[in-house]
Amino acid sequence: MMIVESIRTGAIEIWSHKTRSFLSFAAIAFGVAAILYTFAHVNEMQKRTRETFELAGPGRININKKRQRGGEESPGLSKGLTSGDAVVIKKALPNLYMVSPHLSTWAEIQYQSFREHISVKGINLEWKKRNWLYTVKGRFFNQYDIDTAARVCILNEPGGWIEKPWWMRRAKKRWGWGNKFDEWVKRVELVGRKIKLNDQIFTVIGILKNPPQDKDPRWIGRDASVLIPLSTAQRYFNDQQRGGAYVPDALSDIVIDTGDENTVDTAMQRIKNILTVRHRGEEDFDLSDWREVVSQRLSRQKEQAIQILSVGIVAILAGGVGIMNVTLATIFSRIKEIGVRRAVGATRMDILSQFVTEAMMLGALGGIAGIAMGLVGIEKLARDGADKLEALLIWHYLATLGISVFAGFIFSIFPAYQASKLDVVEALRNE
Amino acid sequence: MIHLDNITKNYGSGETEFQALKGVSFEVPQGEYAAIMGPSGCGKSTLLNILGLMDGPTTGTYRLGGDRVDDLSDELRTGVRRDQLGFVFQSFNLLPRMTAVGNVALPMGYSRIGTEERLARANKLLKRVGLINRGSHTPLELSGGERQRVGIARALANKPDLLLADEPTGNLDSKTAVGIMNLFKELNAEGMTILVVTHDRAVADQADHVIHMMDGLVREEERR
Repeated sequence: MMIVESIRTGAIEIWSHKTRSFLSFAAIAFGVAAILYTFAHVNEMQKRTRETFELAGPGRININKKRQRGGEESPGLSKGLTSGDAVVIKKALPNLYMVSPHLSTWAEIQYQSFREHISVKGINLEWKKRNWLYTVKGRFFNQYDIDTAARVCILNEPGGWIEKPWWMRRAKKRWGWGNKFDEWVKRVELVGRKIKLNDQIFTVIGILKNPPQDKDPRWIGRDASVLIPLSTAQRYFNDQQRGGAYVPDALSDIVIDTGDENTVDTAMQRIKNILTVRHRGEEDFDLSDWREVVSQRLSRQKEQAIQILSVGIVAILAGGVGIMNVTLATIFSRIKEIGVRRAVGATRMDILSQFVTEAMMLGALGGIAGIAMGLVGIEKLARDGADKLEALLIWHYLATLGISVFAGFIFSIFPAYQASKLDVVEALRNE
Repeated sequence: MIHLDNITKNYGSGETEFQALKGVSFEVPQGEYAAIMGPSGCGKSTLLNILGLMDGPTTGTYRLGGDRVDDLSDELRTGVRRDQLGFVFQSFNLLPRMTAVGNVALPMGYSRIGTEERLARANKLLKRVGLINRGSHTPLELSGGERQRVGIARALANKPDLLLADEPTGNLDSKTAVGIMNLFKELNAEGMTILVVTHDRAVADQADHVIHMMDGLVREEERR
């Protein structure tokens, strides 16, 4: 029979057994919603990874000072990670896009009645080359600040939220949960003011405003709360000792970007050689390749996606069995009708295709309901709902719809085949 | 039109085997109005199922319009049933969720006739059987006689060569039955070959050719 006719009969059947039909496609709908969510999740993940890569630099290498444990103190042959190391690396590998040495520490910040322990990081101008997402109030450091070890500082202001997650809002209301420094920086106009870091007076020359947290592609989040020139940090906040002597140009880490993903391996090898020689064989540093971090992160997320996806598939399978059940029930209650249709000239194929069409319509209904559920669910439940939805493409919707229609098809073939095999005379006799 | 030669039909096997038809032979020429009569259990319904190609005989040959149809595949049998035969049932067998027009148009759908033509022809047929303005009613909203008229219109949908009817007045009161009988007579007058299975002497009386059956055999044929 013609498809239009099958569809019409199917629609009448589905409509006249609303509860039965609804129950059979509900499971499909859940499955579709889960699959759609997975698609959104995976896409969003890939998008963020790309952005992070672009921001962090494709050829990123981190060199971190190894923490010294008690009883394993360095014999003093190596001075640890120093500015000298950074200079030599830069000289030996002049093609590196960025070599950014840092010294990180903690200090007490004081301004009028405000007092708080915060993280401080000494940087130089190279720092600006990567992860730059900020809007600057006031100014950034210049070479003069670095050369003269000026007591100037830049405060790192949080980006806030476009829309704060509900649980954070509630936590803040209940337990006063939040960061005092963040609120202070946001509240008080500080550019040009003098603040105290430990017992040194610093002038605030600028404020770096972060992007809103719901749009921030970085995984690790914000950098240190207060930035000062590296030379200043080494002069006033340096407590590195090796073999009983101070190390005046100590660093806590160096971040390198080779500028190209393909040169990472060779660059890492060379840096390792240089540092091993300079540190006189003492392995008091850690070299890590950014790609490893990324790939670990990705594989973790992929696992998660597979889990959601398998839940979706199981739900669709369950829904398919539901459709099979409903098709069987429909056929049992319509044996007489099958007989009449066969008697007036329907072939076995006509009967088969009619029931399969009906089941596919149920599948499609489930798919549409699932997409609606998925859209509402992602929008309302996911913290970054808007981004997730944006990441969905038209073919994701079509694919999920296709999967559910296909489930209807597959699971109805067997019962529909049974129906088409009914004996005409027997079927007509059925009441 | 119909040519039956020594048709037998067995049900079951071994000990429980039962012979419903024991060698039935008769002819119904083109344009004839024939009736089969006999007590229940004489094999009338079995014979009608075979004539209507809904069941096959165990042995014997069945020619319809000159072609052998007893050994066709299910697919081909369905095709003959659809295009050459019209079937009128005792209990009407209309689809309850469809309108009268839909029911009449149903066989045309299976022979792939376009929607517009189907509806036009269905309406014309309803008019032919005397059901003007009842096309949009479902069977539940129609009286017994009206339902049977819809059933006859449906049987005529694909312009069949032969109209088969199984106790067409069996579920109707005598007054309504007369109307249906007249309709059959009119159709026959227009050239339709008709074969009716009936208990009702009055129905048989208007046929040209009455076949009396007993215990799976033709006992007597009378022609008028």
